[in-house]
Amino acid sequence: MARMKFICDSERCIECNGCVTACKNENEVPWGVNRRRVVTLNDGVPGEKSVSVACMHCSDAPCMAVCPTNTFYRTEEGVVLHDKDTCIGCGYCSYACPFGAPQFPAQGAFGVRGKMDKCTFCAGGPEANGSQAEFDKYGRNRLAEGKLPACAEMCSTKALLAGDGDVVADIFRNRVVKRGRGAEVWGWGTAYGSKQAGQPNGAKS
Amino acid sequence: QSVNSVPAGGASTTTPPAKVAPEDLPPGATPGAGPGGIQGQNIFEVKPEVKRDASSEPGYLDQTNGQRNRVQPGNNAPMWRGVQRGMEGYSSLPKSEAPEAGVLIQAPVAYPGTRYVTAGEAWREVRNRWLIPYGGALLVIALLALAIFYFVKGPLGHEIGDGPRRIERFTPFERAAHWANAIAFVCLGISGIVMAFGKFFLLPVIGQTLFGYLTYLLKNLHNFAGPLFAVSLVIIFLTFVRDNLPQKGDLRWLLHFGGMLSGKELPSHRFNAGEKVVFWGGVLLLGAIVVASGLVMDKLIPGLVYERRTMQLAHMVHNVSTVLMLVMFFGHIYIGTIGMRGAYTAMRRGTVDDAWAREHHAYWYEDIQAGRVPAQRSKPLIAADGPADNVRPA
Amino acid sequence: MLLTKKTGSTQAQARSPLVHSLQRGLSAALPTMDRRGFLRRSGLGVGVGIAASQLALVKKARAKDNDAAVGAGRVEVKRTVCSHCSVGCAVDAVVENGVWVRQEPVFDSPINLGAHCAKGAALREHGHGEFRLRYPMKLVDGKYQRISWDQALSEISTRLQDLRKASGPDSVFWIGSSKHSNEQSYLMRKFVSLWGSNNCDHQARICHSTTVAGVANTWGYGAMTNSYNDMQNSKAALYIGSNAAEAHPVSMLHILHARENGLKLMVCDPRFTRTAAKADQYIRIRSGSDIPFLFGVLYHVFNNGWEDKKYINDRVYGMDKVREDVMAKWTPDKVEEACGVPEAQVLQVAQTLAMNRPSTIVWCMGQTQHSIGNAMVRATCILQLALGNIGVSGGGANIFRGHDNVQGATDVGPNPDSLPGYYGLAEGSWKHYAKVWGLDYDWLKGRYASKALMEKPGMTVSRWIDGVLERNELIDQDSNLRGVIYWGHAPNSQTRGLEMKRAMDKLDLLVVVDPYPSATAAMAAMPGDPKDLNQNRAVYLLPATTQFETSGSVTASNRSLQWRQKVIEPLWESRSDHMIMYQLADKLGFGKELVKNYKMQQVKGMDEPLPEDILREINKSNWSIGYTGQSPERLKAHMRNMAAFDVKTLKAKGSVIDKETGYDIAGDYFGLPWPCYGTPELKHPGSPNLYDTSKHVMQGGGCFRANFGVEKDGVNLLAEDGSAPVGCEIQTGYPEIDHVFMKKLGWWDELTDTEKAAAEGKNWKTDLSGGLIRVAMKNHGVHPFGNAKARAVVWNFPDPIPQHREAIYSTRPDLVAKYPTHDDKKAFWRLPTLYKSLQQKNVDDKLAQKFPLILSSGRLTEYEGGGEETRSNPWLAELQQESFVEINPQTASNRGIKNGDRVLVKTPTGGNLNVQALVTDRVGPDTVWMPFHFSGRWQGQDLLAYYPNGAAPIVRGEAVNTGTTYGYDSVTMMQETKTTICDVQRA
Ligand SMILES: Nc1nc2c(c(=O)[nH]1)N[C@H]1C(S)=C(S)[C@@H](COP(=O)(O)OP(=O)(O)OC[C@H]3O[C@@H](n4cnc5c(=O)[nH]c(N)nc54)[C@H](O)[C@@H]3O)O[C@H]1N2
Ligand SMILES: Nc1nc2c(c(=O)[nH]1)N[C@H]1C(S)=C(S)[C@@H](COP(=O)(O)OP(=O)(O)OC[C@H]3O[C@@H](n4cnc5c(=O)[nH]c(N)nc54)[C@H](O)[C@@H]3O)O[C@H]1N2
Ligand code: HEM
Ligand code: HEM
Ligand code: SF4
Ligand code: SF4
Ligand code: SF4
Ligand code: SF4
Ligand code: SF4
Ligand SMILES: [Mo]
Repeated sequence: MARMKFICDSERCIECNGCVTACKNENEVPWGVNRRRVVTLNDGVPGEKSVSVACMHCSDAPCMAVCPTNTFYRTEEGVVLHDKDTCIGCGYCSYACPFGAPQFPAQGAFGVRGKMDKCTFCAGGPEANGSQAEFDKYGRNRLAEGKLPACAEMCSTKALLAGDGDVVADIFRNRVVKRGRGAEVWGWGTAYGSKQAGQPNGAKS
Repeated sequence: QSVNSVPAGGASTTTPPAKVAPEDLPPGATPGAGPGGIQGQNIFEVKPEVKRDASSEPGYLDQTNGQRNRVQPGNNAPMWRGVQRGMEGYSSLPKSEAPEAGVLIQAPVAYPGTRYVTAGEAWREVRNRWLIPYGGALLVIALLALAIFYFVKGPLGHEIGDGPRRIERFTPFERAAHWANAIAFVCLGISGIVMAFGKFFLLPVIGQTLFGYLTYLLKNLHNFAGPLFAVSLVIIFLTFVRDNLPQKGDLRWLLHFGGMLSGKELPSHRFNAGEKVVFWGGVLLLGAIVVASGLVMDKLIPGLVYERRTMQLAHMVHNVSTVLMLVMFFGHIYIGTIGMRGAYTAMRRGTVDDAWAREHHAYWYEDIQAGRVPAQRSKPLIAADGPADNVRPA
Repeated sequence: MLLTKKTGSTQAQARSPLVHSLQRGLSAALPTMDRRGFLRRSGLGVGVGIAASQLALVKKARAKDNDAAVGAGRVEVKRTVCSHCSVGCAVDAVVENGVWVRQEPVFDSPINLGAHCAKGAALREHGHGEFRLRYPMKLVDGKYQRISWDQALSEISTRLQDLRKASGPDSVFWIGSSKHSNEQSYLMRKFVSLWGSNNCDHQARICHSTTVAGVANTWGYGAMTNSYNDMQNSKAALYIGSNAAEAHPVSMLHILHARENGLKLMVCDPRFTRTAAKADQYIRIRSGSDIPFLFGVLYHVFNNGWEDKKYINDRVYGMDKVREDVMAKWTPDKVEEACGVPEAQVLQVAQTLAMNRPSTIVWCMGQTQHSIGNAMVRATCILQLALGNIGVSGGGANIFRGHDNVQGATDVGPNPDSLPGYYGLAEGSWKHYAKVWGLDYDWLKGRYASKALMEKPGMTVSRWIDGVLERNELIDQDSNLRGVIYWGHAPNSQTRGLEMKRAMDKLDLLVVVDPYPSATAAMAAMPGDPKDLNQNRAVYLLPATTQFETSGSVTASNRSLQWRQKVIEPLWESRSDHMIMYQLADKLGFGKELVKNYKMQQVKGMDEPLPEDILREINKSNWSIGYTGQSPERLKAHMRNMAAFDVKTLKAKGSVIDKETGYDIAGDYFGLPWPCYGTPELKHPGSPNLYDTSKHVMQGGGCFRANFGVEKDGVNLLAEDGSAPVGCEIQTGYPEIDHVFMKKLGWWDELTDTEKAAAEGKNWKTDLSGGLIRVAMKNHGVHPFGNAKARAVVWNFPDPIPQHREAIYSTRPDLVAKYPTHDDKKAFWRLPTLYKSLQQKNVDDKLAQKFPLILSSGRLTEYEGGGEETRSNPWLAELQQESFVEINPQTASNRGIKNGDRVLVKTPTGGNLNVQALVTDRVGPDTVWMPFHFSGRWQGQDLLAYYPNGAAPIVRGEAVNTGTTYGYDSVTMMQETKTTICDVQRA
């Protein structure tokens, strides 16, 4: 069974935000909600690197563990999705997520956050695949169409790879072997690397 | 290269980042585990051309990523180390809209009772491993204790006499404030409990969908009731603070636990020492903490930057203090309802009769008898459509 | 607690294992970099077919506003090209019920392989167009009011006729657009010619004009020599004055791939840019000092004997003179003094370029936008010639162009000094075009004020304000400018904004034809100095369509032409530019003449000239630059069969017959990169790399152009023996082909009789039959433009050997003394132009003390140009919400400025820009940098109130050009935007 993962190759990413607007475009994500964002480290000095980050669809997802309403679920491809009908907008997932993935639409009065929104790996939500209801709540379900996430498909430098973990790792490996550097896959350690996300490798929870 | 040499996702792929020389690791960390175990992963054994001797240069560990790349091209250890420590990068999103957009990964932290992991993970551990199970247990234990107490001791005090002489114990204003506060508290308590524990006791019963909608409702109720509660709490405090100041006899009352166990109640002023403990500890101290942390979680404190760390701390404080407050007010509510005869009517109608006052608040009764405290403090309300409670003739 | 989604549906079951196994299989089977294979959705990408079958999602439906949307319910996929930069990324637009509902990447495109930067990935917003101008408007009492198209066109044409009568046709300035398709740009030039003036221009003036002039004068054509794709063959690349990662993001796809295969990447820039972040070497120079640096590099090349001696001997003129100059003037100490780069670093660059050949150089606005831009670009050319890198795959002068069609608009569009195809303005050129247009030469001449003015280059867009403000006796035409038509150009992209406001107020007529005319609109409507306001001024806004509401061809930076299909019908009341041109021409009385050769098509019930027919007219006339082979049919066949082209060479991988046209693309290069000589029937494949002698001319090979005579002062200008394209029958150098030469060679009889008739008395550029070209190329492998040497010395330029000269506004009086600028010019593009007098005045006024920081400006990925279009796109606007100034931490702390503070950028013109400080090491302590895409705030004031209702962009900010200063290139009138001066203070 495919296990969907992202790799962002920081040797390639140029902070062009193509992935960000691709996501906005494909999923009609409103202003203020950034399912994906790009961060530049060591900005403006030698050694600068940029990384595009969204939900990593963690193996042992902290968001899922803290959600008061058990609104998260995981698809057969390992994509972490959630059900907006039962989300209460408490924000706990955003406190727990190491990557800052969960987003909330415009802040209302008294901490009313609205329903949480985050990257779906372009896999929609619990509604019927490709239905209008699914689109309205979660954006496109590209996986159901046999396509990969919009952000990765449109990445300007193909820094961002998305797909079955084995496949994207292969592509990335080829690149690394070729250039002989930059083998670090950002975020994997935390998202999938150990049994318990965010814990030292091998640590038992 | 064989595809199979790449471990499948999810399985443990704990190859230590090959390019990271041991010196690159923070002191005390084992290879493969950055601080908090957050790490980029070299998922293949691809080593960059690393000049090994570069690592023996003085100042190697203090090199910036740029400097490191000059001596060891492709070795980004200094940067990833920074990232692991929560180093903030550049993001073009405005701080006002996305304060943490520049942070790739939460900085590690050890909250009480957790390991040194990403703050979110630490918070998750605090909540899921400590607060929810132990807090829940505490609440259940408190309820059980009250139940046992009730079955063993039954309601305290004697049957309420409907004695001829009514003493005004709480003015209409006091009662209004109290009930506003009490209602808000009950709403908050119930909604809070459902949020925190509902998925264990309620969700399996009513199902995901109904539970979701219900909790959504309660959560929003919680959000709005909170500020209301905060305001009424202040009023309560101001209204009752005078009579809750320590007075002679309080200490004795406390030491003998009000005589509750002996069955002979000790004399007290308008409020006994037990009530005063609830007042100062529960209303003021816990109340303030609950309100403050709650307002932070509601994002109602102006000027504060609502980062995840802020929210996590606020949440933990809120959760601990609300559980304690719940326990305390379980007691208060118990005494105020089924636990003591006449107490509820006192707060419901505002008046007690001489017998009740004498039995439960002897000093206060004396003061009233002596005229030091008026028996009727509010202006009697003579409503057109009927007599008010406190002037109802016997 | 773990829930697993029940994926019951059939597609879901079929999906994942298939995705999985196909991708695995492919990526295992294919070598490293055939990402295209992988990305083409692993064969799942019957693609939009699947998408379409599942689409029932009409998003943000504009259907009700959109007549054409009613009915059908069909889902169509239209292939178009991103309109935001010259990379030319292809896009598949999914249209349902006439509404653009989705955008899919085109993995087949050999240019972008599906990739997009932020702008391209947000392209579909054009289909929403929420903040666009919806109907024609007119400024009445300081407010914009809706009027009808009919009223607008009538009033505008009456006003124009009045101006024409009172002050002659040259009293109006027409600012065309690099955003127009080739057909629209061409029609624009034709329109202005028929109106009777050369006062027209477009963005290229303030973009790559110095490149075009400098490069064309060096070796023939003013264009990028190779392609983004070809850069995969480079072993080293020097980016000097280009920030491709932000300005041409998708080009980085090729470069980063090349870098993984060993390319050494060097970036030379005053700023540590996103491109610099990817470089192996970064060289920080002082803005405006490229010549010292480049010649410093050349010094080491010569010093170490790294130059390609045979190449120089065979193919370059004047290198010896350059060498003398360089060795004398640009010793390492002088280099370091002038540009701040230490010798070791300069040497390393020289060594890297020399030892890793073929090496390429990329430049862009960092070099062009200077008062010595023409010299800078030539210095770069000379370095490449010395290294023997031109005409070589993997080498080349890779000049990344700007707007999506700035290359095309430069080639065939509204230039003040030339008719389409660089034909110039001489009588012969006019006669050539009179014939092509089917018009009488004398009638054409009659449209002009005089024959002299017909043959005199017009003013430039960089200077139109002086055309208005300059004293009449000092300008080189009868009247001052009184009317300006902004036809797809922003105002905040030209310098001296404060003076522009005055000029705008003085006009009699201002017309803006643009989907987003709002920046100009707001600037015109805001109150200025009442003294300046012409009481009789009329301002009109006309809503033009974007390129997605029409069809046409567009030329990417690598000279490939791509055909855009129409995606949607015009939104709101907007009309396509060529329709507006036709309608306005009709009102002005030359409508018939304008469209004589075109059929009409109906758009929303109105006549619109058929773009295909306009392209055919271009095909029939633009022999000089090989815009003749790209027939609409060939271009469309290429667009439909993109997958058949190789990513590295751009060549069709084999024979593929296009289903609709029956055309076989075998042998073609993608998009028939110009020059694609001869008629379409000749089947010239286009030229992937210019001047490449390793290929037969019929396979896209070539040599340097013979455009400057056969000898200069007794020195041979033609190529030496043996240096000719493969298969060329003339192995010596030779001049261009004309009827006389043809006859001398004895090839005349290879022409058909009709060809002979047409070619008699003509040269290869004016022979409308294409016979001369056919015979020379096909039968003899001879390049029609001759075979000459490239010129290291361009004797017709102010500095034949490029000289460093300090910017007019410089922070370094000491260097001004050593490297002063040119003398003032009296009548230069019809205007007096200041150099030395102003520079000296600035030194005397001690401006450098009051304004001690260099102010430079440039691009952000998310926005484009003046930015009104992109700042109206919420998906982009969210990512850059504030106009800012980058300032070095040291400079900032000296001024008590913290990151995020509001600051004032003060400039010598009185500019007082209120922006946010971005404290960053990207810039050095002597330099500050601003993005130039903002407008809508003016010296601290928000202009929202002056925008047409509902047409204000989402993000408004202070425009850097409000504060920029005087300074123009000594050949092309390029404005000096990259090097001026300022001070920054806390607000
Ligand atoms: N996102 C985006 N992309 C665009 C555009 C856009 O507006 N937005 N516009 C398109 C257009 S029209 C154009 S022309 C291109 C322009 O593309 P570029 O020219 O690459 O972009 P700029 O940012 O203008 O300038 C490039 C660099 O020149 C540097 N520079 C400044 N002064 C000097 C100097 O004196 N010497 C040297 N060597 N460098 C200097 C600047 O620091 C800057 O990093 O981009 C095209 N692509
Ligand atoms: N300070 C500073 N100034 C600069 C530069 C710099 O680096 N620094 N760069 C310079 C350069 S290189 C350039 S190219 C210019 C760019 O500056 P401009 O070209 O002036 O800026 P754009 O906003 O791209 O202008 C294009 C206009 O065309 C409109 N448009 C788009 N499509 C169509 C269409 O199909 N038809 C019509 N009629 N209109 C259309 C858009 O809405 C927009 O208003 O700026 C120059 N100015
Ligand atoms: C000013 C008063 C209060 C405010 C502003 C407030 C606010 C909040 C907020 C914002 C949350 C987080 C969940 C959410 O977003 O809804 C929360 C959770 C909670 N609150 Fe309150 N609250 C207040 C008072 C109380 C009181 C009085 C109690 C109970 C006695 C209480 C009990 C809880 C509980 C149990 C939780 C759930 C914690 C968890 O899920 O771990 N709150 N409160
Ligand atoms: C359903 C909930 C509650 C019930 C049934 C209840 C009942 C009562 C009763 C019967 C009294 C009168 C006791 C006496 O006469 O001495 C009382 C007093 C009081 N209650 Fe409550 N109460 C409730 C909730 C609360 C809450 C949430 C607070 C504040 C956080 C509160 C604060 C007080 C105070 C301040 C007094 C006055 C006595 C003192 O100061 O100790 N009550 N309550
Ligand atoms: S990245 Fe965050 S939101 Fe996504 S699965 Fe992991 S914890 Fe959950
Ligand atoms: S915001 Fe929604 S998804 Fe996140 S934890 Fe709360 S209920 Fe769950
Ligand atoms: S996978 Fe889809 S939803 Fe997730 S960031 Fe990419 S485009 Fe957005
Ligand atoms: S599109 Fe690709 S290169 Fe651009 S920011 Fe996103 S990940 Fe980086
Ligand atoms: S702006 Fe340029 S690089 Fe970006 S998608 Fe459009 S054409 Fe491609
Ligand atoms: Mo440009």
